Amino acid sequence: MSTGSSLGAVYDRGYRPYEGARGGREAATFALYKASIRRALGLRRSWRQKVAPFVLLGIATIPAIVNVGVGYVTRNEAIDRVEIITYHEYVGVSSTLLLFVALVAPDVLCPDRRQHVLPLMFARPLTGIDYVLAKVGAIFTILFAFSFLPQVVLFVGNMLVSDSALDYVQDNLDVLWKVPLAVALLALFYTVVGLAVASLTERRIVAGAAIIGLLLVTSITAGVLVGDDTGFDDDGSPAALINVLALPLYLRDIIFLGEPESGSPLRGVEYGGLLAALAYAVVVVVAGAVLVSRYRWVEK
Amino acid sequence: MGGPSSDLSCLPPVDPLDDGPLLRVDRLTKRYSAVTALDDLSVEVPRGRIGLVGANGAGKTTTFRLLLGLAHPTEGSVEVCGIDVAADPIGVRSRLGYMPEHDCLPLDQTAADVVATFGELSGLPARAARQRASDILDLVGLDEARFRPISGFSTGMRQRTKLAQALVGDPELVLLDEPTAGLDPLGREEMLALVGRLGTFGISVLMATHLLDDVQQVCDHVVMIDAGRLVVSGPTDSLLERTGVVTVDVGTEGDKLVRGLADVALAATTNDGVVDVTVNGDHDLDLLRDTIAELGLPLYRLTSRLTSLDEVFLRHAAEQT
Repeated sequence: MSTGSSLGAVYDRGYRPYEGARGGREAATFALYKASIRRALGLRRSWRQKVAPFVLLGIATIPAIVNVGVGYVTRNEAIDRVEIITYHEYVGVSSTLLLFVALVAPDVLCPDRRQHVLPLMFARPLTGIDYVLAKVGAIFTILFAFSFLPQVVLFVGNMLVSDSALDYVQDNLDVLWKVPLAVALLALFYTVVGLAVASLTERRIVAGAAIIGLLLVTSITAGVLVGDDTGFDDDGSPAALINVLALPLYLRDIIFLGEPESGSPLRGVEYGGLLAALAYAVVVVVAGAVLVSRYRWVEK
Repeated sequence: MGGPSSDLSCLPPVDPLDDGPLLRVDRLTKRYSAVTALDDLSVEVPRGRIGLVGANGAGKTTTFRLLLGLAHPTEGSVEVCGIDVAADPIGVRSRLGYMPEHDCLPLDQTAADVVATFGELSGLPARAARQRASDILDLVGLDEARFRPISGFSTGMRQRTKLAQALVGDPELVLLDEPTAGLDPLGREEMLALVGRLGTFGISVLMATHLLDDVQQVCDHVVMIDAGRLVVSGPTDSLLERTGVVTVDVGTEGDKLVRGLADVALAATTNDGVVDVTVNGDHDLDLLRDTIAELGLPLYRLTSRLTSLDEVFLRHAAEQT
């Protein structure tokens, strides 16, 4: 459309006010959540950004596929079912998603600060808490999905290659709540720890290295303090709780076994399970507080 | 890419959306530990294109942060579009668009994605946000570049993208912080033309700048602050006063006119191809008219020269000190 005025035709396309529905804080938070998921998965970005997340998803799913494949091949053999990996152990496999966290947590947080995008976001109906919730929700969703989907593949595959699918489900009903709970605790832990560390710097590479470094240092420190006893049948040490990397796995043991598993450095520690749950809660709360404090400035 | 003309005289004034003032600032003070950014500022401005003028450090950016509810006043209150910012900062932000002065765009995304995302963050549904992003990028002259990453944009294109993200939520008021910063003369003219046109869309503008020429070109109301204090506020036209000098354009015959005016005791000088004549009352204007007629000169333009906003600012600032 052109009015033919001296303003020229390039900009003279008119302006239509928006008269439709308009959301508030919830809509803005959900929009940021969606945008963060897209960014973490590399959607609407170059193919290079898509490689890491989907390769990691593939790697995390391989054990399930192999397990189901072996079960299928040996389904007619007169031997006990071959089980390469259990649901309990598979949660441990998902802990490799820590690499994914070190990659994407800085990517969804640091550029907003480094490129000064935050003032634009907080000029919208959005608070610092909303921003944190959107980012935590996005990374948690992806981590949960990447940890849970392989377990679904494993469960459905095992069910289909079993002699009786119904019997298999009945025999493994507890898995239907234990796996989502253990996976959710793992995903929440890595999400808040990863994002809290990433929120402390505006450089992605520094944040990624810091996330890996924090977990490695605590792991090594705990190993030194606990000692090199590989058995730990009854003489574990509370110092094992320093190992931030392993905290969600201790909780996994409590969920699946009701106690630290055999060989765990918490084995034999009085109230070991309770202490692990407390340590987990403390780390999550502290990391959450760090995150919130880093984005409270917008309302000061 | 062509640009719009800088001649904004044909633009109609902003039609007020309702009777209430755009901003009502009452005894507003903002102190940061050792610095007082705003000091007992009270001002009320109508809807329209408003210029917020002051030197660097005068308190313009602090004022924006207070309007957005991103900072709390130490004392006083602010109302934007009739809403108390302290009581409902989210409600205020839902009605505002904001274009910061500094770089603030995610460089690895396309303009279309960025503007659409900010549309959603403004509360628009996803499909509507994408549609409006396309329309607004078209409006600001980035229709062909909207699918390119912002990292490859020139300064002018980035400024337009910043303006687009401020407009995509269809705000009642858009806050522009130094919108012409870093632009070349052509880019500046194009940006000012865009800003001027916002009023025709029913969008009020609050433009913070230290460039008084920009304000004089597009704003119909001016608020001047200095060191956090109000210097003067009022309609642009009422602040600009006559200087007692008229500018006459007689083409290439300027020197001939100056000599003719000297014969009738009128002081005149040539200046950039036009003649500035000092007049004192209607009698001198009659003399000027008659002299031009007697000399048989072509008269292309005769205007009364007004004071500039720079002069207004300096005079009022001096009066306050």
